Amino acid sequence: MATKASRTAARAMMSPSVILLLGWMLIPLALTLYFSFLRYNLLMPGGNPFVGLENYEYFFTDPAFQTAVVNTLLLVGGVLVVTVVGGILLALLLDQAMWGQGIVRILVIAPFFVMPTVSALVWKNMFMNPVNGLFAYLAQSVGLEPFDFLAHAPLASIIGIVSWQWLPFATLILLTALQSLDSEQLEAAEMDGAGPFARFRFMVLPHMARAITVVILIETIFLLSIFAEILVTTNGGPGNASTNLTYLIYAQSLLQFDVGLGSAGGVFAIILANIVAIFLMRMIGRNLDA
Amino acid sequence: MARAISTHRKALNTAIAWLIAAMIFFPILWTVLTSFKTEAQAIADPPLFFGFDWTLENYTTVQDRSNYFRHFWNSVVISVGSTLLGLALAVPAAWSMAFVPSKHTKNILMWMLSTKMLPPVGVLVPIYLIFRDWGLLDTQIGLVIVLTLINLPIIVWMLYTYFKEIPGEILEAARMDGASLKSEVLYVLLPMAVPGIASTMLLNIILAWNEAFWTLNLTAAKAAPLTAFIASYSSPEGLFYAKLSAASTMAIAPILIMGWFSQKQLVRGLTFGAVK
Repeated sequence: MATKASRTAARAMMSPSVILLLGWMLIPLALTLYFSFLRYNLLMPGGNPFVGLENYEYFFTDPAFQTAVVNTLLLVGGVLVVTVVGGILLALLLDQAMWGQGIVRILVIAPFFVMPTVSALVWKNMFMNPVNGLFAYLAQSVGLEPFDFLAHAPLASIIGIVSWQWLPFATLILLTALQSLDSEQLEAAEMDGAGPFARFRFMVLPHMARAITVVILIETIFLLSIFAEILVTTNGGPGNASTNLTYLIYAQSLLQFDVGLGSAGGVFAIILANIVAIFLMRMIGRNLDA
Repeated sequence: MARAISTHRKALNTAIAWLIAAMIFFPILWTVLTSFKTEAQAIADPPLFFGFDWTLENYTTVQDRSNYFRHFWNSVVISVGSTLLGLALAVPAAWSMAFVPSKHTKNILMWMLSTKMLPPVGVLVPIYLIFRDWGLLDTQIGLVIVLTLINLPIIVWMLYTYFKEIPGEILEAARMDGASLKSEVLYVLLPMAVPGIASTMLLNIILAWNEAFWTLNLTAAKAAPLTAFIASYSSPEGLFYAKLSAASTMAIAPILIMGWFSQKQLVRGLTFGAVK
């Protein structure tokens, strides 16, 4: 039984975490919001006058904004398609009986533990480089011209790199969900004459639906903030061809030193992420009651 | 009854799975192999798989030229430091939420989680300016603080799901048997909580080690951990594949090994208990 004294103690034990997180959330948020209404450039001395919605106007009418929104959607959507479809297939495969399952699983999840800057640079140089990369060698060995991936298909290349990093995550979570499926039910269905496709469509897929949703939502939160991979491979270029919202806001804030403009972008990014977050939080909250 | 599977079928499964696993793992294997080549062998045409003279030269060169271990040490300090600080804050919090729940517990947990959904770039400007004004840019302590705060929700959540699994009745039983508070904590609670705390710690070190937004934006030369140091290879001069590979191999090896040990916890920690 929780006594009054223990409740007071519990509150005291919780408060450091709560207070720190509250500060971490509220102070920067309030400052971002505040800066977004100022004309505030670190390179221009003088007061930082209040300019109302001017920064938002600049941010939304900047041609780079539209490109960045489209790129962000393509990047998130592209990686989601590859990792979710690939993850389902891999999870189904890894769930089969085989020799050395443990080792296969270790090899498959390994990319998730590679730091973003390493995986981006390894892919950029050792695979996608048009002169010395392995892909160029493979292309030449079958008589094709080497392709300069990051110059001619920068966004698709980054989608490829990021998918390689996130495929293990999707696979691991979907596999965990798959393994909780009752195999006797599947056998019963098989005996009743359900083919492999029917079993997948009407039994396996509905069972995994929840895990798939969780994968999509969590990946979306992280993928909206993809940064390091773009920074070390293309710097957002050529032009703005691989600039996403995160990179655009970074460039405005820390490369052009336009604090006001970057803050307006930041507010937009926060709203965008919150839309996704609401759905994710609902799913997790439902699970907490159960 | 388990389904009887023909050896034939099993062999086919094995072959396909190993082939795909090898393809997924290949970039890592290739990096490790390249790290033992000379720069000329690293870009040899045709590519060399095993028939080259293995050398450790790249590892020593990387250290000599760029003081690699300084950055390695920064990574260790930042990831371990932020994890320990996070645990110190989160253990009491998760403990009280699991054992003395109130009607607000769920709301507090959900709210903590929501702070994790905040896109870092949304608060980049104020954090950068605060760090600049307080002299925290490019310092270990600055990064320890930021990484503690961004990972605190995950630590609290993971610990909470582990502590929830400790049955409260055991505590009551111990108390009835006359255990003092001290021995209750020491001999009953702690042994049951240690595995959960250990897995939380492991996963959090991995996440902090690989964090590549704040580490890139808040450090320069002095406090740069490996994420930021490796990024400096993006504009190289001359031949550098073998050195890049050596630097990369050392950066990912420790975390790869820890990651393999924490597969199961990964699912729990990254889905906030939504998938078990």
